[in-house]
Amino acid sequence: MDNNKFEPLLKLRQYLLTGVSYAIPFVACGGILIALSLAFAPRGANNAPDPSGNPILSMMLTIGVAAFGLLLPVIAGYISYAIAGRPGLVPGFVGGFLCAHIPLPDGGEASTGFLGAIIIGLLAGWIVNWIKKIPAPKYIKPIMPILIIPILSSLFVGLLVLKVIGLPIAGVMAFLGGWLQTMSTGNAVVLAMVLGAMIAFDMGGPVNKVAFFFGAGMIEQGNFAIMGACAAAICTPPLGMGLATLIRRKLWNDEEREAGIAGLAMGLIGITEGAIPFAASDPLKVIPSIIVGSMVAAVIAMLGQVGDHAPHGGPIVLPVVDGKLMYIIAIIAGTVVTALMINALKSLGNRKPAAGSLSDTKYDI
Amino acid sequence: MKIVAVTACPTGIAHTYMAAEQLAKTGAALGHEVKVETQGAMGIENELTAEDIRNADYVIFAADIEVEERQRFDGLPTIEVPAQLAIKDPAAIFAKLNQ
Repeated sequence: MDNNKFEPLLKLRQYLLTGVSYAIPFVACGGILIALSLAFAPRGANNAPDPSGNPILSMMLTIGVAAFGLLLPVIAGYISYAIAGRPGLVPGFVGGFLCAHIPLPDGGEASTGFLGAIIIGLLAGWIVNWIKKIPAPKYIKPIMPILIIPILSSLFVGLLVLKVIGLPIAGVMAFLGGWLQTMSTGNAVVLAMVLGAMIAFDMGGPVNKVAFFFGAGMIEQGNFAIMGACAAAICTPPLGMGLATLIRRKLWNDEEREAGIAGLAMGLIGITEGAIPFAASDPLKVIPSIIVGSMVAAVIAMLGQVGDHAPHGGPIVLPVVDGKLMYIIAIIAGTVVTALMINALKSLGNRKPAAGSLSDTKYDI
Repeated sequence: MKIVAVTACPTGIAHTYMAAEQLAKTGAALGHEVKVETQGAMGIENELTAEDIRNADYVIFAADIEVEERQRFDGLPTIEVPAQLAIKDPAAIFAKLNQ
């Protein structure tokens, strides 16, 4: 290969993406169930949604929290799996679980969040690969993968989480949460712009998930503003593309108009992936448009002091959002900006057909 | 040439299948016999059989994530590229085969 220098980095990226790819359905399932149960719940103390009085809603919440609670084990487990194959699963899952349950001296628990799970997943995989290299006598070989490796690697990884890196990482997360709460308006706007751009950039991919997990992690720290900005930015790419196909129908072919309707539906339930069909066929025009739209939505939500209590985005979480009016305004503004920008870019390209050659390639999805 | 391929992207709902289609289409146009397995959010689909793999001259991994059950392809000459390349420029991947 000609890119030897980048090989280790590319591998690292592949490991992380493997973990994220297995985690995405857990996030969607848990996020939507939590959002729905909180959405229909009556208001309790401090005007926060409280589903505990309703058996169906509280059951939904329990199931959603279970799916979301598996997130850290699944991420760490499958990062480790990507590195070390099947024997990597046990220490990865155990380490990821411990990341969310680090016992504190006062009887409580600390969580390292997403960041800790990634680090532990990598360490678990490498530790397993290292144990695999230890020469084992022939009569021990058969029990290596089912007994020796899982026990040794889990002990090692568990020790790392509980006694070495767990608390420092949890401390960093708590510090971030506190710092964000005291952040000045100017910094908050910059942060919202970065988060919005990240959310739209790859429409549900790894960059999007970093911003998302940051917001979700901050909910645990009692800061709902970060998720509020993310939640507004999450839905504007598909909503904006859908709106664009509705207001200038001539610019879009039949398939795209159909994808536009699907995009509107996906946008409403907070699935950024709804914009992928558009971005795939014309990335250079679509991606800048949705990034700008999401940045607008995130900044307005941040300035409007929107807070989101559920780890999910889009209009579907409206009932659990603080600052509902500003949340709606943020989403509408982001959606309209996205739609106007993509239609403007599209019609520019149509006037000068020679420059629009990129949009000639069309893919069926 | 007989070529087997596996495509996989992180989300596994769009790019995995676009890459698979481009590889199959381009490979056929170049006169190769191509069979593509997708490893998307639905898991392994259009699974390559042991016979497919035994008869293949090359395997192409167009994947951003770790390929599942990779050991099936042990011993086969391998080309590894990001899934994105299979969508944007599939011909470049087949050009590598001739190097």
